[in-house]
Amino acid sequence: MLSEETRQRIDAAIASAPVVLFMKGDRRQPQCGFSATVVRILDELVPEYATVDVLADPEIRDGIKAYSSWPTIPQLYVKGEFLGGCDIVKELYGSGELHGKLGVAVPERRVPNLHVSDAAAVFLREAVARSDGKQVHLRIDRAFQNQAYLGPEEPGEIVAESNGVRILLDVMSAGRAEGLVIDHVETPGGHELRIDNPNAPAAVKPAEPSVRQIDVQELKRLLDAGAPIRLYDVRTPEERAQASIPGARLLDADAAAELEKLPRDTRLVFHCHHGGRSQQAAEHFRGIGFRDVSNVSGGIDAWSREIDPSVPRY
Amino acid sequence: MALRILGAQDDVGERLRAAIAGALPGAAVEVRAGGAGHFELRVVAEAFRGRSRLQQHQLVYGAIAPLMAGDAAPVHAIDQLVTEAPPS
Repeated sequence: MLSEETRQRIDAAIASAPVVLFMKGDRRQPQCGFSATVVRILDELVPEYATVDVLADPEIRDGIKAYSSWPTIPQLYVKGEFLGGCDIVKELYGSGELHGKLGVAVPERRVPNLHVSDAAAVFLREAVARSDGKQVHLRIDRAFQNQAYLGPEEPGEIVAESNGVRILLDVMSAGRAEGLVIDHVETPGGHELRIDNPNAPAAVKPAEPSVRQIDVQELKRLLDAGAPIRLYDVRTPEERAQASIPGARLLDADAAAELEKLPRDTRLVFHCHHGGRSQQAAEHFRGIGFRDVSNVSGGIDAWSREIDPSVPRY
Repeated sequence: MALRILGAQDDVGERLRAAIAGALPGAAVEVRAGGAGHFELRVVAEAFRGRSRLQQHQLVYGAIAPLMAGDAAPVHAIDQLVTEAPPS
C-alpha cells in the first residue's frame, strides 16, 4: 500500500522543515475546515512552516495515511515527530503543550475582564438558547481580527463571564481581550455585534473595517472604469475551469509570491465561489500589511446571477 | 469488560471489531454505528498501557486501515475514538 518511493518522498518532506503540515490546499487557501483550523493555530504560533498539499498528489494523500497509521488529513509533524490531526492539535494548543513542542513561550492563562452590553447580552442569551447546547466563542487573531461564533466547547478554552453571558476564548485570544467591549447595534443592513478592543492597534479599530466588503455591482463598476485594482480568484484550478470572472487572476503559488512583493498600498480584491474562502485570503493579506483589501461578497455565484448569466453557476 | 456491539446486524461494524481484536489480543471493543460509513469506537486494551493517546489511536487506526482505504471504503470516518487501558 505504501511504496518505498512514496515512503522516501514523505521522509524527505518531513525532514524538509521543522514544522510540516500535510493538508488539503495550502496555508493561504485551505480547502477543508479541519486543515484551516490547524493552519489558524500554526499561524498563531510560528512565522514559518512547510505545507504539503495532498490534493495535488494522490500518492502522498494515500501514502501519508499508511505512513502515520492515521486515517485523516491534516497531519502535523514537528521535528520529525507525528503530533496528530486536527482534534489532537486543538487539544495540544489548548493545553499549551503545542507551544512547548514548537519552542514558543506558553502564555499565562488569565481570565480577561470583558464587558457585554445589555443589548448584546439579550442577543447572545437568545442565540445560545436556540443553539442546542452551543456556547459563544470569541476568537481574536494576531491581527486583532475578531470572530464571534457559536460552537461546542473546545479543550483548554478560558471562560469569561459578563452580564450573564459566558464567552469562551482560546488562550491566545484571551491574552488579547482584556477590557474588550461587546455591544449589539442596529445597522442599515440589519444588526450586528460590535466589538471594541482597546488592545487593537488603531488601524484595525472598528471605525475602519480592515477588509472591505464589496458587492458584484461595485466590482463591475471598478472593472469597467479600469480602476487600478488587482483581482484575485482564490478558488481551485478545477473550479476556475468551470467558471471565471474576466480580469481575475488565479491565486496560485506564483501569483501569491508576486503579490507578496507588491507595494502595500496596492488595491487588492479577492473573490471565490460565495465569499468565504476569499474573506480568509483577504484577511491574510491584510494581516501582512496590505492596507486596501476588499472581498467580493457573494463571490462568482453572485456575479453569475447579477452581472453575467453566461458565467455558469455550479 | 462487557462487549457491546450496537447495530451488530451491521457487517461493517463486525469487521471493525474483528480487525481491532485481531491486532490487539484481549481488547474489548464497542462499535456504535452512526450515519452511512460513520462509526464511533471505544477500545479497552492492555496494549495501550504506558502509551500516549496518540500512540493508542495509531494502534487502532493501523488495525482498521484496510477498511478505510480507497474511495469505496466501507468505513468513511471514525467520528469518535476512545481508547484506554483496563484498570490495573
